[in-house]
Amino acid sequence: MKFRSLRFRITAWYAGLLTLSLLLFGVSVYLGLDHYLESSLRKNIGEEARSIGDKVLEDIDKNGEKYVIEETGENYAPEINGRFIRITRQDGSRLYQSNPPKDNSFDPTLVSVNSQPWDSASYRREFVGGEALVLYPYVYSTPEGKRFLIEVGAPYHEISNVLHGLILILALGTPLIVAAAIAGGYWMMQRALQPLNEIAAKAELLGYRNLKERLPLVHSGDEVERLSVSLNRMISRLDYSFQHINRFSADVSHELRTPLTILRGELETIAQQRVSTEHLEMIGSALEETDRLSKIVDQLLSISRLDAGEACREVVRLDLGNLATSTADQLRLLADEKSISLVFNVTPNVFVEADQIRLRQVIANLLDNAIKYTHPGGMVEVSVSSSENVAVLQVQDNGVGIAPAALPHIFERFYRSDLARSRSSGGSGLGLAIVKAICVAHSADVTASSTEGRGSCFRVEWALASGSASFADRPTADALAKVTKSAEQNDSTH
Amino acid sequence: MRILLIEDETKVSNFVTRGLSAERYAVDTAPDGSSGIAFSQSYHYDLIILDLMLPKVSGGEVLKLIRRKDTNVPVLVLTARDSIQDKVDIFEAGADDYLTKPFAFAELLVRVKALLRRGPVNRASSIHIVDLELDRLSQHVKRAGKRIDLTSKEYALLEYLMSNSGRALSRTMIIEHVWDQSFDGVTNIVDVYVRHLRSKIDDGHSRKLIRTIRGVGYAIEEEGDS
Repeated sequence: MKFRSLRFRITAWYAGLLTLSLLLFGVSVYLGLDHYLESSLRKNIGEEARSIGDKVLEDIDKNGEKYVIEETGENYAPEINGRFIRITRQDGSRLYQSNPPKDNSFDPTLVSVNSQPWDSASYRREFVGGEALVLYPYVYSTPEGKRFLIEVGAPYHEISNVLHGLILILALGTPLIVAAAIAGGYWMMQRALQPLNEIAAKAELLGYRNLKERLPLVHSGDEVERLSVSLNRMISRLDYSFQHINRFSADVSHELRTPLTILRGELETIAQQRVSTEHLEMIGSALEETDRLSKIVDQLLSISRLDAGEACREVVRLDLGNLATSTADQLRLLADEKSISLVFNVTPNVFVEADQIRLRQVIANLLDNAIKYTHPGGMVEVSVSSSENVAVLQVQDNGVGIAPAALPHIFERFYRSDLARSRSSGGSGLGLAIVKAICVAHSADVTASSTEGRGSCFRVEWALASGSASFADRPTADALAKVTKSAEQNDSTH
Repeated sequence: MRILLIEDETKVSNFVTRGLSAERYAVDTAPDGSSGIAFSQSYHYDLIILDLMLPKVSGGEVLKLIRRKDTNVPVLVLTARDSIQDKVDIFEAGADDYLTKPFAFAELLVRVKALLRRGPVNRASSIHIVDLELDRLSQHVKRAGKRIDLTSKEYALLEYLMSNSGRALSRTMIIEHVWDQSFDGVTNIVDVYVRHLRSKIDDGHSRKLIRTIRGVGYAIEEEGDS
């Protein structure tokens, strides 16, 4: 579970809020109920006390004390109702005292004697052997003027039983409700966010090469639909500006060509005249610069074509190892000049599908680069290998290397890692940019690694074409030959 | 030999005309498509050099009209556009060759000469330049009667120089002819190979045959014994 996901966070938030409000609700219900139950219990025992006075004690002179005792025990049945009743005469002697209730929850004899003055008697709480009682003292005066204290008590457990029940319901119900809400909410969030995930997955696949494609439209009429529509509009604008940039560099290149042609032509015409050697040198130098300019224009145009996906039309199946060795052979003299040894480490039968001229250009540029930046007497190693589904071309040298700060930029147009060095070697600053553009156009991956002063390694990974030897299941040489042969036959039948 | 140059950039047509005239060709120039068509229909030309981007009538249209009238005249197209599709279009429209701007005049001249001598090309089996001899059949090279061993690239380079003897060849021309355009970005491959070739051909001889023409390229002495 991703804790930072919107889905998780929203669910967590509202689950938290729901739990909190349920708790508040539970507490207020509890307190309210507690208050209500206690006040009704008090009202209850108060009424009972008054009714004992009004109905039983009223005629005490006429009926006698015995009548009062019997009548109270019978009519109010404190033992059965779980009540405590005590009637005290004015002199403090006891007229009536109820027996223990049938559940034996408290012992009436232990209830303390009322210590307050009669005219200010009020409710009191008392613990009797672990049971809390609420007591109501009622002073009754008979018409004849005799005064009695009637005390009626009830145990609190009547209330707390109800409250316990409530707590049980809340304690079981709250987590159940919250759990159900979390599950339901999580599911609903998934439904709501699923289109977003789809949009994100699709957007991830969009690069400047497939900007013609669009994100899936969600017809939900909500914010997600609006998002998908705006994203698509943004992609359209990106697409437009990419095309614009591409067209721009192509147009600029074309426009530069005519003045360059004139410049070149005029300079050559001057060189044909009788001029001094000194002037001839200068004209020659100017011609060299026009050459360089032309080359830059050509390469820029070539990159913008590659970016526009126009330049790799003749895609054929190629043996990467063969191509690498034959290309390196054509450049061997460059290495020999500097006594650099070219080492090959080539796995046979590694096939890729590519435009031959372009792939060769990648190899030539990488090798040229490696030779250029390797000291005389150094070594350049070209290796071709394959691992699962990838053909790997690697050009490694033990030359000057690339500074760590420069490494991320070397594939950028006109980037020069070391101004002085690059100028003296006369590159256009576009060689590696072209390599990158060709690789991108072929959906291949090119990376560079380097230790400054120790050498650099350029690695190109292409999708492996069918019939290649791979590490995954490397067949024996015989089987390999057969596979290759049948692959070739397949090719020829197409 | 009469050549029609259809080119709207006056400066380009000026130096091309000057250069071609110096090579003793008669050159007519037309500054736009419609006058180009008019010229091509009024006179007989041995070669037409046509710029593709023209005012009024585009180069492509001009090419089609020329081909409708005269199927034989060779047409060399000058273009600033060089994508594969552009090239295919140019050839489909009936061009015989094309040259991408900017070009070295030497390259234009090589192509003009090649187009003008179309038909049975004189490819002698051996070429002699002063005391240097190249045998195309056996691929043997001798200088002053002494056999010189060359690698296949060096041989291809020498053969290209010798079959265009006396003419400056640009590095781009050499790369496209001896290697292929994949090597165009490789910095000094031509210079290194020429240096090696030169050491094998010219070292120990007082007369140096291979010349460097600064800013243009390389050339070998004019054909013939002397």
